[in-house]
Amino acid sequence: MLEKTVYIRLRHRVFVQPKDKIFLKDIAQIIAENALHKQINDCMLYQVKTEDRNIIIIDILHVVESIKKMNPTIDIQVVGPSQTIIEVVYKKRKISPVYFLLIWFLLFFGSMLTIMNFHEDVSMQDAQQKLYKIMTGESVEKPLLFQIPYSIGLGLGMIIFFNHVFKKRLNEEPSPLEVEMFNYQQDLDRYVVMHENKENMSRKE
Amino acid sequence: MNMRSLFVIFIGLAGGLSVGAGYVAFLTVLGIIPRLTQLSKTMKMIQLYEWAVVLGAIVGTIAILQEPHMHLPSVLLIGFGLAGGIFVGMMAAALTEVLNVWPILAKRIGIEDKIVILMMALVFGKILGSLFQWMYFVDH
Repeated sequence: MLEKTVYIRLRHRVFVQPKDKIFLKDIAQIIAENALHKQINDCMLYQVKTEDRNIIIIDILHVVESIKKMNPTIDIQVVGPSQTIIEVVYKKRKISPVYFLLIWFLLFFGSMLTIMNFHEDVSMQDAQQKLYKIMTGESVEKPLLFQIPYSIGLGLGMIIFFNHVFKKRLNEEPSPLEVEMFNYQQDLDRYVVMHENKENMSRKE
Repeated sequence: MNMRSLFVIFIGLAGGLSVGAGYVAFLTVLGIIPRLTQLSKTMKMIQLYEWAVVLGAIVGTIAILQEPHMHLPSVLLIGFGLAGGIFVGMMAAALTEVLNVWPILAKRIGIEDKIVILMMALVFGKILGSLFQWMYFVDH
């Protein structure tokens, strides 16, 4: 008897070009007996259209349907995620250096102003003068001996937190920024899976 | 001791309790201590770090309320200032992280590969802003 079982696991995220045809082999890992594997590999699932913009969701039910249409006798076993996010990659727009510099200086001066506002807000100067007096016994108007290392420490603290000095990873653990980027991407993915997937939404008329 | 001073003691304790709890809660949300233990691989010492924070807060409070004069050499302030700055810098970095600034910025303007350079803008902004304030701005 011929083994007719196919195991399918959808990939989480796939990048395609505009006007591509999406085949099963592009979006899924498949385990099947050889001939069958070849047969369903080229099962066409979707034709990317311009009005799709850049996110398309392919639901597992759509995949199952397409395979069944091809060969109704196949037993399909689905493992893993129940949809694939297809991202259509249009030509990457190059960010101009002028634009980049503008953002850089926006952040630079913004950061400068916020730290100054923060210091004023918490009366940092007062606290530092008092601290200087407590430690050394003399009062000074500008305790620069404290303030200059403090300023350098500010930047150092940020760098340490994001772990950019140690380019060679100290350990395998990702930096907070990488984790944060990952979490944000996951949130976005969950959103598009829910909202772009037409099969997920229905209204009882 | 009369009723009035007992009442004042009670209010002082209550105020200290809520401020202390708030401070610790804030530190916990920012996750600076876990980050430091992760970098230095000293997870086992975490309880000692907690004590460092608590003792630091208490010593700071006493110092600012009593204003003792310790007559220490002023060179010590360099290390003190550096440590204080690093702590505030880490708080600032952690705060931007909690607020999800970087992922959104990177997505919006599509510069995921240059994010380090942008981060340096913030870092230098903080350093120069602070230096500018202490060396020039306060005189005006």
